[in-house]
Amino acid sequence: MSAQAPRRFTPVSVAGLIVLAGLLVAIPFLTTTTSLRQATQIVVSVLAVLGVNIATGYGGMISLGHGVFVGVGAFATGYYVGDLQLPWLLAIALGAITAGLAGALVGVPALRIRGIHLALVTLGLAIVFRPLSKRFPSITGGVSGRSIDARFDAPGWWPSDGRMASSVYRYVFCVLIVVLVLWATWNLVNSRFGRSMRALRDNHMAAAIYGIDLVAARVTTFAISAGIAGLCGALQVLLVPFVSQDKYPAQESLVIYASAVIGGLGTIWGSVLGVLARTVLGKAGSALAGYDGLGPLGEFFDLLDESAFVFGVGLIILTFLFPRGLAGLGRKNQVPK
Amino acid sequence: MNWNFDVLPDFIFNGLSLGAIYGAVALSLVLIFKATTLINFATGELAMLGAFLVYVLHMEQGIWLWLSMAIAMGLSAGLGVLIERTLTRPFDPEDHLPVVLITLGLFLIINAVAGDIWNYQVRILTNPFGKFPDWVPSLGGDRYVEVLGSRLKYQSIGIWLTLALALFALSLILNKTKAGLAFRAVSSNVESARLVGVHTGRTLGFGWAIASAFGTLGAVLVAPQLGGVNPNMMATILIYALAGAALGGLDSQGGAVLGGILVGLIQAVLVTWGGVVVFGQLYMSILQLAAAFLIILIVLLFRPAGLFGTRRVERV
Repeated sequence: MSAQAPRRFTPVSVAGLIVLAGLLVAIPFLTTTTSLRQATQIVVSVLAVLGVNIATGYGGMISLGHGVFVGVGAFATGYYVGDLQLPWLLAIALGAITAGLAGALVGVPALRIRGIHLALVTLGLAIVFRPLSKRFPSITGGVSGRSIDARFDAPGWWPSDGRMASSVYRYVFCVLIVVLVLWATWNLVNSRFGRSMRALRDNHMAAAIYGIDLVAARVTTFAISAGIAGLCGALQVLLVPFVSQDKYPAQESLVIYASAVIGGLGTIWGSVLGVLARTVLGKAGSALAGYDGLGPLGEFFDLLDESAFVFGVGLIILTFLFPRGLAGLGRKNQVPK
Repeated sequence: MNWNFDVLPDFIFNGLSLGAIYGAVALSLVLIFKATTLINFATGELAMLGAFLVYVLHMEQGIWLWLSMAIAMGLSAGLGVLIERTLTRPFDPEDHLPVVLITLGLFLIINAVAGDIWNYQVRILTNPFGKFPDWVPSLGGDRYVEVLGSRLKYQSIGIWLTLALALFALSLILNKTKAGLAFRAVSSNVESARLVGVHTGRTLGFGWAIASAFGTLGAVLVAPQLGGVNPNMMATILIYALAGAALGGLDSQGGAVLGGILVGLIQAVLVTWGGVVVFGQLYMSILQLAAAFLIILIVLLFRPAGLFGTRRVERV
C-alpha cells in the first residue's frame, strides 16, 4: 500500500467509533473498583500493541520484544516516582522517554538486521529481559518484585471522593492519554515522517534514493514505537504501584506482537481491534472453561482459560483466514507486505 | 584476580558437553532454515514436548529409557510432518510473515498445553548417562574419569557419543538415501528441484521430521543439567541454540554443530571460568545469557552468513 492518501472515515468505522466511545463512557458507571482497574489495564494495553504496530506495521521492522520496552517503562517510572519522588506526570513522561532511548539502542542494529533475522534478535531480547532484570533488585525488586511507594489519587478539584473516585480518575486519565496517543500516532503516520517510514518499509533502496535519511528514520521509528510501549508500562505502574519481572516473560512480548497482527498491521484501529480481540478471546475462553457438564471434554476446555493458548490458536486461524488482520476485513485490493 | 588453571579443564569439558546439546538444537533450527529460509520459533517448544513424551513413556509407563527416546523422537518427527503439511505448506515460502506467525502461535499453544498438563514445576527425568555401565572398568569413579587432574563426567562422554552417532546417521541419510538427495536438492534450489521432479512438499516434511527428532534428542540430553523437564526448560536453551546457529551460519549443518559447541565453550570458559573464577564476578547466569545474545547480535550485524553459511547477495 504505497502512496495512499490519508483515509476518510467509512460508515463502518464511524459506527464502530460511536460504539467504542459509548462503551468507554459507560464503563465507569457499570463496574466496581476492581473491574474498573482491569478495564483500565485493557485500555492501557492498546499502547503496547500500538508500539509494535508502528515498528512493524509502519516501519517494516519485526519486533518480537516489545514487552521489554513495556517493562523498561514500568521499572523506570517506578524508580522515578517511588525513589526519586518525582511528580507522577513527569515520572510517566520520563519513563516513556527511557523506554524510547532503550528502543533507539535496539533500533541501531535494526539498521542492518532485517526481516527474520531481526525477529530472531528481538526474540532474544525478550527472552533475556527477565533474567537480566532479576539482577537489578534495587530497581526491579529482583525475583519477587517490589511495590512503589506512591499513589496516583484524585486531586482536590475532582467532583467526588472515596476509593471509587480515584479509580474513575485513573480511568479517565488513562483513556485520555490513550486517545491522545492514538490521535498523535494517526497524525504521525500521515505526516512527512510517516510517509518516509512507509517508504522505507516498502522499498528501502528506493526510499534512500529519494533522499530519506535511512539511519535517522529507522532509529526514530523504533524509538517512538518503544516509547509508546514504555508509556503503557508507565501507566501500568500508575494503576497498580507494583513492578515485577514476572509480568514480562517472552510470551507476553509474543502476545503483544500477535495482538498487533490479529488486529491488523499498518492501521491505527488495528491496534484497538487487536486488544479487543485479545480481551474477547480471553473472556470467551475462560467462560467456556468454567462451563461444567462437558464430561471428559471439560479437561480440554480448561485449556481455554490459558490466554496464551487461546491466542496461539487465534493467531494460527487468523493467519489462514484473514491475513490482513481484523482491520483488513472490509478492504480489498491491498496486498500486505 | 585468580588465574586458577587447575579447574580450567572442568570448565572446558562442561562447555563441550553443553555445546554439543546446543549444537543438536541448533541443527534442528538449521535443517528447517536451510530448506525454507524460515526460523522455526517453536523449535524449543517442540523439543520440550519431546522431552515430556520421554518423561511419560519412561517415568510414568516404565518403558526402557532408550526405547522411550526412540519412540519420542519418532512421535516428534511425526508431529513435525503434521505441522509442515497442515500449517506451513499452504503458505508461499517466499513470504515470511505468515509462517513466522504460525510458528509463534505454535510456541504459545505448545507451552500452554504442556503447562496445563504437567504444571510448571520441574519433574525429574532419568539421566541417560548417570553412571558408567557395569562392564566399563573403573577409571576413578562410577560417574567420571580423571583426565588432566579433572573429572570428565560420564554424562559428557555419553552426550558426545550420542551426538556423534546421531550426526553420522544424519550424514548417511542426507548423502546416501534418495530422500536425503531430494532434501539437498530442495535446499539448494526449490524451483530447479521441482522441475526435475522432486516432490518438494514431501521433502520439506522430511526436513521437519528430522529437525523435530534432533530437537527432542537435545531436550532429553539437556534435561539432567536443568534438574529435569518443565514447560519453560527450552527458553534459554533456544537462545544458546540460536546463537550457535547464527554463529555457524543459519544454512550450514556442520556450522550449526560447531557454532553450538563454540557457544558452549564461550559460555563455560570465557564467561564462567573467566568471569566467575578469574574475576570473581558472581552474576554468572545473566552473563551467560547476555553473552549468547551478544553473539547473535554481533554475528548478524557484521557477518550475517555466520562462519560457514552461504552469503546472500542482494540485488536491486
